[in-house]
Amino acid sequence: MTRYKKQDPEITRRKFINVAMGTGAGVGVLSLVSALGSAKPAFRLTPEKAPPIKGDILVHAAADKEGQPIRVSELSEKGVSAWPMGKDKEGNPVIRKGEPNNQLAVYRFERDRYKVPEEGGHAHVVLELNGITADGVVAYSNKCTHAGCAVPNDPNDSTKLFCPCHSGQYDLLQGCKVIGGPPPRSMPQLPIKLENDQLVVTETFVTAPYGFLNEADWETYLEQVKEIIG
Amino acid sequence: MNQWLDDRLHLSRLNDKFLRKAFPVHHSFFLGEITLFSLIVLIITGILLALAYEPSNSLVVNSFDPGTKADPNLVPAAYHSALKINAMPFGDMLRRIHHWMANIMVAAAVIHMMRIYFTGAFKKPREINWWIGMLLLIFASLTAVTGYILPYDNYAYNTVSVIYAITKSVPWVGDWLAQAAFAGRFPGDGIIPRIYGYHIMLLPGILLALTGAHMLIMIKQKHTQPQYAKRLAYKKIVGVPLMTQQTPIMLLLALLFTGLVVLFSAFIPVHPVEYYGPPSPDPISGIKPDWYLLWVFGALAIIPGFELEVLGGVISAEFVGAMLFPGIIVGAMFAVPMLDRSKDNMYYAENPTNHPVRLAAGVAFLAMMIVLSVAGYKIELIQGGLLTSANANTILWILTIGVPAVCYAATLGIVRMIRALREADERDALAHSHADD
Ligand code: FES
Repeated sequence: MTRYKKQDPEITRRKFINVAMGTGAGVGVLSLVSALGSAKPAFRLTPEKAPPIKGDILVHAAADKEGQPIRVSELSEKGVSAWPMGKDKEGNPVIRKGEPNNQLAVYRFERDRYKVPEEGGHAHVVLELNGITADGVVAYSNKCTHAGCAVPNDPNDSTKLFCPCHSGQYDLLQGCKVIGGPPPRSMPQLPIKLENDQLVVTETFVTAPYGFLNEADWETYLEQVKEIIG
Repeated sequence: MNQWLDDRLHLSRLNDKFLRKAFPVHHSFFLGEITLFSLIVLIITGILLALAYEPSNSLVVNSFDPGTKADPNLVPAAYHSALKINAMPFGDMLRRIHHWMANIMVAAAVIHMMRIYFTGAFKKPREINWWIGMLLLIFASLTAVTGYILPYDNYAYNTVSVIYAITKSVPWVGDWLAQAAFAGRFPGDGIIPRIYGYHIMLLPGILLALTGAHMLIMIKQKHTQPQYAKRLAYKKIVGVPLMTQQTPIMLLLALLFTGLVVLFSAFIPVHPVEYYGPPSPDPISGIKPDWYLLWVFGALAIIPGFELEVLGGVISAEFVGAMLFPGIIVGAMFAVPMLDRSKDNMYYAENPTNHPVRLAAGVAFLAMMIVLSVAGYKIELIQGGLLTSANANTILWILTIGVPAVCYAATLGIVRMIRALREADERDALAHSHADD
């Protein structure tokens, strides 16, 4: 044991290296975070990506008939896929297919088969019976509210939808209420009316479509849309 | 010439250090090698594919079916280039080899890990390599998933929309995370270039770096020795050296294995882009992830829907099924070496039956993975009339818990019984040998 406490140069050097490494790592992480910030591009809303807007008409989405207005006579219990078509600033028609939620499925049943659903489980159901035309035509955003798969008819029962992804089930006659499987919400309905033999949107989706966490999230988005599109 | 090279590169040291590495002689030790060979073939076929692929989702006229001047048939450039690859001589074959190799790489890696687990080779000092192996497995699946998206046909489009949704379901930061990872709101204009970057640069880079670390550590720590080595020369490394004994075996194995994969690539088609068509609004049926992610898919299917608001974040069934639950499973796998408290270094691969609890836990775990994967077929089970939508969840949940429990008890019972019989035999033999003298 020495009587004098000797400054050990080894230790200070080690300390220095540790501090230097710590600072280096800190700066590295910070710059990485700022670089990551640029990974998320700004969202620019174009008419093509806008949600359906009052006055849009429903047109065919199938490649061979894309853009042709849908006629009631073409509709049945088997859904017909559709896009909303609106106008851009210059008044040119634009098909709003930049937003996946705009993938619509349009069905027709006899008007009196629809019924107002009882509120059930986790399904927040809105069925606007006045959003169904006199011919019983009804339109939904055809995106499973669970993980966004497009949902076809149940092969055993055409009044139901059966999601191929995780077996979510919806009842078409009850506002697309969830009747089985994991989806948290009913499929959002798009209120429409029949005008000059064209299906016309009367207001945008009545509930939050897939990808929006809840109704509040969806409302904020609609506010944004209003600001940008006017 | 040898002397000249040796003076500069110290080849003899390399020779002593690496090329004489001893390889244990046992067929189960080839599984890791098969994984490595698949990675090499994947990289080679991947480079060839990348040369012909166009990473862009902007729309181009489909040269195979151009439509009319007034109404051109527009498809995403990535999809179009996938069609072109199929039309190349052996182009389709190249895609198939790449695809099947990826599947086999994961399969070989999984079996390799099973070997490590059941023989206790993850124990001290090899914990680090178990963890690196886990990372390899995770990044390999991520690479595979991003690869699925690149052809950008309808199937890929639906897949990526689900992956986007899963990313977005993370509470609080999900929205930002999903937009940062997938270049904006789905489907962003830059989604394919972004995923392409992941698939050919970022993820393979990570895989190669991890593979390098995995093997360097393995060379430093040496393989665990098979049991026979204990009898042959206690605490000595027994095996055949890399140069020149193991190399021909490896080459032979690599060629044989690659040949096999090429052979069945010739007969089993994959991901028919023409059949699925370009991204479209029409629903597609039978969408399923690859077999190694099917258990996540199954978990998603049987977790009932709910949404829980916590401090402004939303915790959804999707998050629980696709992030939290797999996170727990992967976390448990990461924790495996921590369960072992032995202080000594491990030299010899253990006989699984000498560790009945570990064996039974492993079997139960695999059973649970299989049941969950079957649950991934819930929709088929319901449509086939085997289950109804009313009882499917209950039955599948009971099976998810019950089957592993039964497997656990059964394995434990059988192993204990075998050991009891074996011990009785030994006592018997001992008694008889006494009687003999
Ligand atoms: S996406 Fe429809 S049930 Fe999961």
